[in-house]
Amino acid sequence: MAFTLRSVKVPPNSVSLEEARHRTFDFFRAACRSIPSVMEIYNLHDVTTVSQLRSTIASEIRKNAHITNPKVIDMLLFKGMEELNNITEHAKQRHHIIGQYVVGNQGLVQDFGTKDQGISNFLKNFYNSNYF
Amino acid sequence: MASALRAAMLRHIRVPVQTLTLTGCNSQSRILCGSLRSMSSHGDDHLDKEEVIDRVLSVVKDFPKSILPRSVTPDVHFQKDLGLDSLDNVEIVMALEEEFKLEIPDKEADKIDSCNLAIEYIYHHPMSS
Repeated sequence: MAFTLRSVKVPPNSVSLEEARHRTFDFFRAACRSIPSVMEIYNLHDVTTVSQLRSTIASEIRKNAHITNPKVIDMLLFKGMEELNNITEHAKQRHHIIGQYVVGNQGLVQDFGTKDQGISNFLKNFYNSNYF
Repeated sequence: MASALRAAMLRHIRVPVQTLTLTGCNSQSRILCGSLRSMSSHGDDHLDKEEVIDRVLSVVKDFPKSILPRSVTPDVHFQKDLGLDSLDNVEIVMALEEEFKLEIPDKEADKIDSCNLAIEYIYHHPMSS
């Protein structure tokens, strides 16, 4: 089913910010409704809960809350839909999901900055993560 | 021999003929739709209002964002009273869907913006459990 979704053509651009907003909420609902099957596919019941994943999705969306250009929102929604399709068709592995959506970018080992006091901010960010 | 036997039997057999009138059909379907559906999974076991209110309020209180549990009452408005934004609103509606095993259509879900509306909707929904 997910593979057939790919061949569906891209919907036309949102006309207004209001329409883009609605599309965002529709996408959020679609993502929330697929959480139970995702937890089943990737066997996530012992590491996280449905409500935790729902909050993670909401915070990912909220990261881009400042964007007001409908075209940019459409592009982000397309990327989000692509990611959701990849996840639901099991194109990822369990550790991808856990790393990105359960633990977060920081990882399990948190650096409290005790040993590298004099290091520059740039290097800290460089060591920290590849994701911005 | 066989044809003679058949003719003899047919002469004596009488089958009672019943006309299936419209009223007959209706009474039959009324029986099917009535309370006699003892094997049905959604019959009289509808949620009562108190339970719906309790469960809706507990879902709102368990929302990950910091909400003062004291301030959650049945007639609280999500965005005006609890300081949530529209995305939080959608998130709460999705949490309610999960709790009551419903699927609320998008148009209806957009309208639910307070505890009162959520309770009313879920209470009147035939599939909520």
